[in-house]
Amino acid sequence: MNKQLEHNFVELLEKHQNIVHKVCRLYTNNENAHNDLFQEISIQLWKAYPKFRGDAKFSTWMYRVSLNTAITLYRKSKRRVATQEFEGVQFKIKAEEYDDTEERQLKLLYSAVQELNDIDKALVFLYLEDKNYKEISETLGISEVNARVKMNRIKTKLRSILNP
Amino acid sequence: MDELELLKKDWKRQEKRLPRLSFDEIYNMVLKRSSSIVKWIFIISLLEFAFWTLISFGLKDTEAIQRFDNQEFRSVLIPMSIIGYAILAYFFYLFFRNYRTISVTDNAKKLMENILRTRRTVKQYVAFNLIYLFISTFVTLGILFKQDDQFKNVINEATANGELFKLYATTIIATLFLLAIAIGLILAFYYLIYGLLLKRLNKNYRELKKLES
Repeated sequence: MNKQLEHNFVELLEKHQNIVHKVCRLYTNNENAHNDLFQEISIQLWKAYPKFRGDAKFSTWMYRVSLNTAITLYRKSKRRVATQEFEGVQFKIKAEEYDDTEERQLKLLYSAVQELNDIDKALVFLYLEDKNYKEISETLGISEVNARVKMNRIKTKLRSILNP
Repeated sequence: MDELELLKKDWKRQEKRLPRLSFDEIYNMVLKRSSSIVKWIFIISLLEFAFWTLISFGLKDTEAIQRFDNQEFRSVLIPMSIIGYAILAYFFYLFFRNYRTISVTDNAKKLMENILRTRRTVKQYVAFNLIYLFISTFVTLGILFKQDDQFKNVINEATANGELFKLYATTIIATLFLLAIAIGLILAFYYLIYGLLLKRLNKNYRELKKLES
C-alpha cells in the first residue's frame, strides 16, 4: 500500500497508542500477551485504515477496532510465556499516593474488574474512558438502555465487593 | 465516592505509567502477519472446500467406479456430479459474499454475527457433503447389486440358499456402520477444530445476546 498512507497511519497510532495499551492491559495478564495483542490490534487497525473516513475521530475509531480485536478476533498466542501475573504488576499502586483504605479499595476493584467477562470489561473500559452510553451502546451493538442496566449491575457488584 | 469514580480517578493516573512504543517499533508491528480467528476460519474453510472437491474428483477415477462404467451408471453419476458442482459453486459464492461483509469497524455484535455466518456457510457445505456421501454410497450400492457380475453371483447363490434377505441386511448394516464411523470421525474433527477456535467468540456472543434479552 501507499508509503505515505502507511507513514501517516503509524504516526497517528504512535500518538494514540495509549488506547491500545489500555485495552491490552485489560485483556491480557502478562507482558508477552500484552505485546502480542498490541501487534494484532495494530495489524487490524492498519488493515481497516484505508476505509477510515475522516468523519469519525481517529481515536473513537481506534476504540472500536481495538475492542473488537480483543473480544472477537484475537487468538491467544502460543508464544505466551508465563511471566508475572497481572494483578499487582499492571496497575501498580503507589502506597504514598493513597491512604490505606483507598489503596485497599483500588486493589480490590482492579482485581474485581479482572474477574469480569470480556463484554463487561469492555463496558467498564469505555466507561472509564469517559464514553457516554450512546457511544458504549454503538461500540458494542447493544441498546443504550441495556448498556445502562448492565453498567448499574456492574456498579452494584463492585460495591458489594468493597462492602461485603 | 462511587466505586467506579474512584477507579476512574486512578485509571487516569495510571496512564502515565503505560508503555510507550517508538515509531519504528509500531511500523514493524504493522508489517507483521495477522493471526486473527477470521484469517484462520478463512484458511480452514478453503481447505475444507479443497478437501471435499478433491475427494469427489479422486473417487471418479477409482477402479471400483470404472468397473461398472456403463450407460445406466453414467445416467446417475453425471446428474449427481452436476448437482454436486453447482452446489459447490453456490456455497463458494455464499462464503465469499459473507467473508467480505466481515469488517472490524462494525460494532462488536455485528462483527461476531458476520463471522459466525461465514462459518455457518461452510458448516452447511460440510453437512451437504455428508448427506451427499450417504446418498451416493447407497446409489452405488444399488447399482452394484443390480449390475456387477461378482455381486450377481453372490445374489444368485444366496437366493439358492434362501439367504437373500440376510445378504441384503448384512450389506446394508455393514455399509451403515462404516458410514457412521466415517461421519463420526469427520464431525469429531470439526468439533475439535472449531470448538477451540470459536470458543471465546461464542462465549462473548452469548454474553452480548444475554444483554439484549
